[in-house]
Amino acid sequence: MKINIEGLLVYFPYDYIYPEQYSYMLALKRTLDAKGHGVLEMPSGTGKTISLLSLIVAYQKVFPLEVTKLIYCSRTVPEIEKVVEELRKLMEYYSKETGEVNNFLALALSSRKNLCIHPEVSALRFGKEVDGKCHTLTASYIRAQQHSDPDLPVCRFYEDFDAVGRQVPLPPGVYNLDDLKDFGKRKGWCPYYLARYSLMHANIVVYSYHYLLDPKIADLVSKELTKKSVVVFDEAHNIDNVCIDSMSVNISRRTLDRCQTNVETLQNTIQQIKETDATKLKMEYSRLVEGLKEANIARETDVYLSNPVLPDEILKEAVPGSIRTAEHFVGFLKRFLEYLKSRLRVHHVVQESTPQFLKDIFDKVCIDRKPLRFCAERLRSLLRTLEIADIADFSAVTLISNFATLVSTYSQGFTIIIEPFEDRTPTIANPVLYFSCMDPSIAIKPVFQRFQSVIITSGTLSPLDIYPRILDFRPVTMASFTMTLARTCLCPLIVGRGNDQVALSSKFETREDFAVIRNYGSLLQDMSAIVPDGIVAFFTSYMYMENIVASWYEQGILENIQRNKLIFIETPDAAETSMALEKYQEACENGRGAILLSVARGKVSEGIDFVHHFGRAVIMFGVPYVYTQSRILKARLEYLRDQFQIRENDFLTFDAMRHAAQCVGRVIRGKTDYGIMIFADKRYARADKRGKLPRWIQEHISDSSLNLTVDEAVQLSKHFLRQMAQPFRQEDQLGLSLLTLEQLESEEMLKKISQIAHQS
Amino acid sequence: MAALSEEVLLVVKKVRQKKQDGTLYLMAERIAWGPEGKDRFTVSHLYADTRCQKISPDGKSKIQLQLVLHTGESTTFHFSNDSSALKDRDAAKELLQQLLPKFKKKANKELEEKNRMLQEDPVLFQLYKDLVVSQVISADEFWANRLGDTNHADPSSSNNKQEVGISGAFLADIRPQTDGCNGLRYNLTADIIESIFRTYPTVKEKYCENVPHNLTEKEFWTRFFQSHYFHRDRINTGTQDIFSECAKQDEKGLKSMVVQGVKNPLVDLLMLEDKTLDEGYGIYATLPSTSNSNRSVKESSNSAIIKRFNHHSAMVLAAGAGKRETPADQASETSSTDGNSRDSDFFQPAVKKVKLKEAIEYEDLQRENRPKTVALNLKKLDRYAHGPVPLQSQQYTTSQDIINSVNYIQHEMVNYKPNLTQVLSSTTASSAIAALSSGGVLMQAATQQAINQMIPSEVQGELKHLYAAAGELLRHFWSCFPVNTPFMEEKVTKMKSNLERFQMTKLCPFQEKIQRQYLSTNLTGHLEQMLQTAYSKFHIWQTRRMLRKT
Repeated sequence: MKINIEGLLVYFPYDYIYPEQYSYMLALKRTLDAKGHGVLEMPSGTGKTISLLSLIVAYQKVFPLEVTKLIYCSRTVPEIEKVVEELRKLMEYYSKETGEVNNFLALALSSRKNLCIHPEVSALRFGKEVDGKCHTLTASYIRAQQHSDPDLPVCRFYEDFDAVGRQVPLPPGVYNLDDLKDFGKRKGWCPYYLARYSLMHANIVVYSYHYLLDPKIADLVSKELTKKSVVVFDEAHNIDNVCIDSMSVNISRRTLDRCQTNVETLQNTIQQIKETDATKLKMEYSRLVEGLKEANIARETDVYLSNPVLPDEILKEAVPGSIRTAEHFVGFLKRFLEYLKSRLRVHHVVQESTPQFLKDIFDKVCIDRKPLRFCAERLRSLLRTLEIADIADFSAVTLISNFATLVSTYSQGFTIIIEPFEDRTPTIANPVLYFSCMDPSIAIKPVFQRFQSVIITSGTLSPLDIYPRILDFRPVTMASFTMTLARTCLCPLIVGRGNDQVALSSKFETREDFAVIRNYGSLLQDMSAIVPDGIVAFFTSYMYMENIVASWYEQGILENIQRNKLIFIETPDAAETSMALEKYQEACENGRGAILLSVARGKVSEGIDFVHHFGRAVIMFGVPYVYTQSRILKARLEYLRDQFQIRENDFLTFDAMRHAAQCVGRVIRGKTDYGIMIFADKRYARADKRGKLPRWIQEHISDSSLNLTVDEAVQLSKHFLRQMAQPFRQEDQLGLSLLTLEQLESEEMLKKISQIAHQS
Repeated sequence: MAALSEEVLLVVKKVRQKKQDGTLYLMAERIAWGPEGKDRFTVSHLYADTRCQKISPDGKSKIQLQLVLHTGESTTFHFSNDSSALKDRDAAKELLQQLLPKFKKKANKELEEKNRMLQEDPVLFQLYKDLVVSQVISADEFWANRLGDTNHADPSSSNNKQEVGISGAFLADIRPQTDGCNGLRYNLTADIIESIFRTYPTVKEKYCENVPHNLTEKEFWTRFFQSHYFHRDRINTGTQDIFSECAKQDEKGLKSMVVQGVKNPLVDLLMLEDKTLDEGYGIYATLPSTSNSNRSVKESSNSAIIKRFNHHSAMVLAAGAGKRETPADQASETSSTDGNSRDSDFFQPAVKKVKLKEAIEYEDLQRENRPKTVALNLKKLDRYAHGPVPLQSQQYTTSQDIINSVNYIQHEMVNYKPNLTQVLSSTTASSAIAALSSGGVLMQAATQQAINQMIPSEVQGELKHLYAAAGELLRHFWSCFPVNTPFMEEKVTKMKSNLERFQMTKLCPFQEKIQRQYLSTNLTGHLEQMLQTAYSKFHIWQTRRMLRKT
């Protein structure tokens, strides 16, 4: 259908529309008009992605000068591919309706692991290996050497792309990862570099967060994207953690040992080169004197050697004299390394700020701040000059130099913690230096500054106001949309007591309590008897799950559950868990039914959807608080309190509730879906917890379902499931939660729709 | 003795049957009992006919052994030799125990098949009752035709019966019971053993290797339940445990499954992350180290339990999915051919495409493509079921036609002018009215419809059965033509006599019964007609044969 959204003609590739989609597009349009940022929460399964794409594409078509590019960031590879498929659907609809040939270029970008078509390189399993191998075949100096020595292996796909691929731009169309690979295979061009090159002139780019948020990659990939772009962060409920992760470094003794050998190799290589080809080093030196950064032509293949600091923080100065010659720099590195080693020899926990650290390093080994800042840049230059092929081996020294640059660049928002041993094993010395970022706004700030509109959206962003605070930006729209439902297809229940009236809670004091564990077990057992197909259960942590599973096993509870369903359990090993997941789905498919025991904050809770029969009930055992004893977390909480006036408890609860909401939200993926959500902890009943759940879940929690016993919950679930088993047709939804174009245009409906958005 | 040619395996004297002393003989194919002093058997059962044997509990004063036959009958032997009764009985029991299973399998299969067919098909069952139980034809004759038929016609239905999966909790069903003196008793049934074997092929291997050469069956299972393999939370890797190898193999199987990866890219957690942070970056990079050295014994036992549950569930699932892909097979495949990865690469995109399509589908946003239909709304179901049957085939008229014609008639009626010169005479008019009112000549059809109301339902049921039985017999009869073998000749003659017998024993009594109930309508006319046709065919055939012979 074609919809008029405040004067903008939007092509929407479906016959019907959900009211909240209309409302969402309205809010989005206003944000784009204002050229500002927005925070929008809309439940999963209400067609968020297609609404976003429809509106922004329409906007791009109508105002091609205002918005030139859409940068859509998502979290996981499957998510990225889903977005591109939806986009394809939209584009097909466009060309069907208008009869014009599509002139949009839309493409997905992913790491080499997912795009490489080189037969040997793509056979490698891990992303790191693929990157490293690719580098040995495509690095600029390797290719230069290959000119003189034709036997040297290079990647023919890259060579072909380099020779001809740049002249003709990628023809318009929608390119998913597999399409890029197909195209690359047909032309004999490297799809990865083709995609990276095409980013510049594509109308729509879909890739993962890292390409914008991680300065090490963003500098290479996303540097030249135009200012007039709209950036969308989908599934953004964890965006602060991504930001923090990309800026944090930790150094263990093992890192330092490997670094030591790296430095030695460097030294030897320098020695060799000096004997054979001293001019090379001299040339490098003179280049550094002039202060010019390398000509960027050759740089795109040299992924490992990027700067960890954000683009505008890099100094436009020449490398300081003390580290200009190769030997001096290696000596400098050695000194720095020795200093770090001495710091790791402590016997008590140390926590200090970056200025303190810098002062200490100056006092002890006379290393100044300025050369430290250039450390990463200098190492990059050196590694290139030395023509070291297998760059993956040098990850340790790269890490150290990145740390040096970061620690000397940012005086605020970071903390340094040195722990001589793990808290759980105080006898085993395992010193680690944590250089941890506490301020997510540092990493995302350039994004907000650079692009005219940044949209942060997810199914669970409640409470909305906390995101602008921790990310430090001013949104023009903040809205939370509910799900209009013709039938109440979700059934949130808070189970606070066992049948024997024991209060259920995962809090620390009762964690080992047998009565609680037993009651949790009987909850799962009773639910397994009444819920059809799949049940997913989440625990607060892996340790907690292990303990509970063990004691359920001893008590025979698991055996009783096995009478009803098969049991699959998440393990720390991703491959094992994938297999368990697939078997779980198989068991749901063939009607046997299964239970998946999983962990909040784990990979399953973040990336896997349990649509329809794959998840008819989800049970959240306990409140998934983060491990609060960690010093890094404490430092971060302190920082949040001092800088953003967010109280520790508020943040912890917010963090726990967003993960709980993520977990339970996994089972509802649309209006035809249905599922029971059980919060098995009495603390959920409190207003401060409940109030932080997304509005679309909150409004279905009635006062009567706040403190149920296991039996009561089972009764309610039975009733709910019986209702849901009735046939549900399109007609039931029409006019309520599903609108035709005529219905949408009626005055009355428009009035109703305006109430859907909950402006905060 | 009556059957000297048979090999007698065991003779037990002083066995009472029906309060009569006698001797029990166990022979190669049957069990027999003869009363004392007579040289013939009054009781003789083929092993193949025997379903099971039962023995009296140990404490009882009477020492008995009961044979239960497939037909449901049973025969009880009472061992009355004072001194050695128990020993005698046990000897007989042991021998039977060995003999019965041999015959059981053979007999069972056929019997079960027959039983199943009868249970699944009520019509067939009725037929069986009508023809075999009332001894119109023999059971063998009945089945000879049946079994052959179904096997040829539809082999899939009889052979490919869906295999029953395994209960996920079969191990839980083996509840250990304390036997009162510091021991545990596990009750194993054949089903559970079968489940264990199907789920854990390695255990079956071990069983085949060791039983009965090295261990007795009992010892084997005792060791199984004592083993670390059964109690997965115990971490002791005693090497003398015969099951330690099983555990290793399971581990290997699990690993190979893991290495193979998953087919559905949407659940592949390894492929989820686009770009993992390099080692050393990020804050959660060094969570509690997972190296085995500093994990306590308890923790590793916990993780063993978790692994075990995953493995168990996967195996149960695989066992249920049939034999085509047991993980062991997969493992060997991967090890032998390395091209597997390429293979999966090849078809991955297709799976992926479909899964992605599914994932972005919003079925309710799309208008359904098929033409709009109106749901059938029945107010009275039975009216729909036996609704009026069109008496003669006629063209259906659309509602528009009907409306048009009603309008037309209305129009006609308005303009109706009686044409008084052409009216009928009063006598013809009244006779016409009589003919058209109920019971009249022209309304015969209407009364016929009521036949199912006129006749009581039991008679209807009986008639149905008669029809079915007659149909079956006639089918046998007609299937003999053309008669070209001596066997066929014999059969056709027999079938004819069967038909006659049927008419005498079944049809005639029914006819009499109907007459007694004063049901006027000729219900059996058609049946008789069918039989007559068969008879006349038979006569023609017979006369022809006579002619040919002479």
